Amino acid sequence: MKRWLLLFCLLTPQWAHAHLVSTRFGEYYAGLLHPVITLSHLIPWLALALVAGLQNTASARTALPLFPLAVLAGAALGSTLPAQQWIAVINLISFLVLGGLVLAARPLPPRFFIALVMATGLSHGYANGMPELFGQGLVLYLAGVTCAAYLLVSILTAASHQLITQRSWGIIAVRAGGSWIAAIGFLYLAFTLFVTGAAGS
Amino acid sequence: MPHHHRPISSSHPMCGALVLLLICAVANPAHAHTEAGVAGGLSSGFLHPMLGLDHLVAMVAVGLWGAQLGKPAIWLLPITFPMVMAAGGVMGLAGLPLPAIETGIALSALILGLMVLFSLRPPLEIAALLVGCFAVFHGHAHGTELPAAANPLAYGVGFVISTGLLHLVGIVLGTLTRWPAGTRAIRGLGGMIAALGVYFSAASLGWM
Repeated sequence: MKRWLLLFCLLTPQWAHAHLVSTRFGEYYAGLLHPVITLSHLIPWLALALVAGLQNTASARTALPLFPLAVLAGAALGSTLPAQQWIAVINLISFLVLGGLVLAARPLPPRFFIALVMATGLSHGYANGMPELFGQGLVLYLAGVTCAAYLLVSILTAASHQLITQRSWGIIAVRAGGSWIAAIGFLYLAFTLFVTGAAGS
Repeated sequence: MPHHHRPISSSHPMCGALVLLLICAVANPAHAHTEAGVAGGLSSGFLHPMLGLDHLVAMVAVGLWGAQLGKPAIWLLPITFPMVMAAGGVMGLAGLPLPAIETGIALSALILGLMVLFSLRPPLEIAALLVGCFAVFHGHAHGTELPAAANPLAYGVGFVISTGLLHLVGIVLGTLTRWPAGTRAIRGLGGMIAALGVYFSAASLGWM
């Protein structure tokens, strides 16, 4: 009896639809994952979180909610306007600027920090744009990118602030991280300029 | 009652197990995954300083010497090193030639090993300048290999992190200097690094 039941089950399979990609929710996850698995976005965002962790709590709290909004605005523009090569160069320079600021480990004037957060969000958001998408797919994709920006930078800022304030070696580790990020950016910028002759993706 | 032995046939369970054991014992790595994309670039960059013994011992020596020198050198040298190394890498990428790169890298192991062996304490500026000069050679060697990487950005991330972790290994080992026996052990390690530096120098000059 069991054999017949097994045979019956095998002969009457149905699509599982276990993956949300097939239910049009895939664009959300595509947006969520794009900046997280792309090193050219992930590393500067980590650097921005380290810079935020070095600021006083009030300044960081004011500026950080602006970052996902700036990323959303940038990604919306990047999805509607044509791709710009200079945006990729600015994003590469952000490695150096943000890494250098982490290395310097100095509190920034609040207005400058807000401008830095907005500029980083807009330029990286623009590079995360997806011109192929439209309608509901684009909305889901933008929601994913915005969520990634919020989650990544908020969590990493909290972690870096905790590290800096709670551990005696925390500030040294963060500054070393800034040095690594700036060094990586310096190398990749040179590769882009000298080897590829243009800003890579 | 006579005892009958059954001959072992190929269908015997023991025979199958032996064949399986033999196959497992003579297995070779499949290399089914090619070094491609971000993972390939990251792994090749990460392994480059680790697999090159001349890079490895010099990086560990930077950490050991920093720990011997104490604050602020213990953090200043490893923080400065990646930036200066990147400058060397940029020279390599730009095609700017640097004479005797292999000898420079070998000498870095020799000189830094001697610094640790004799626990020398020059002024911080001199120590930073010395380490910075050697960082240019190491960076140039890494930088010239970067364009050939599966993913150049991932390669850069890999080798910068790897270099930093090797410094950290040196610093952690250097904490042994808190104890007299540990101080002697670290100086002995410096001697070993210097001896390897002599070997690398001789090999780079074609004497071995």
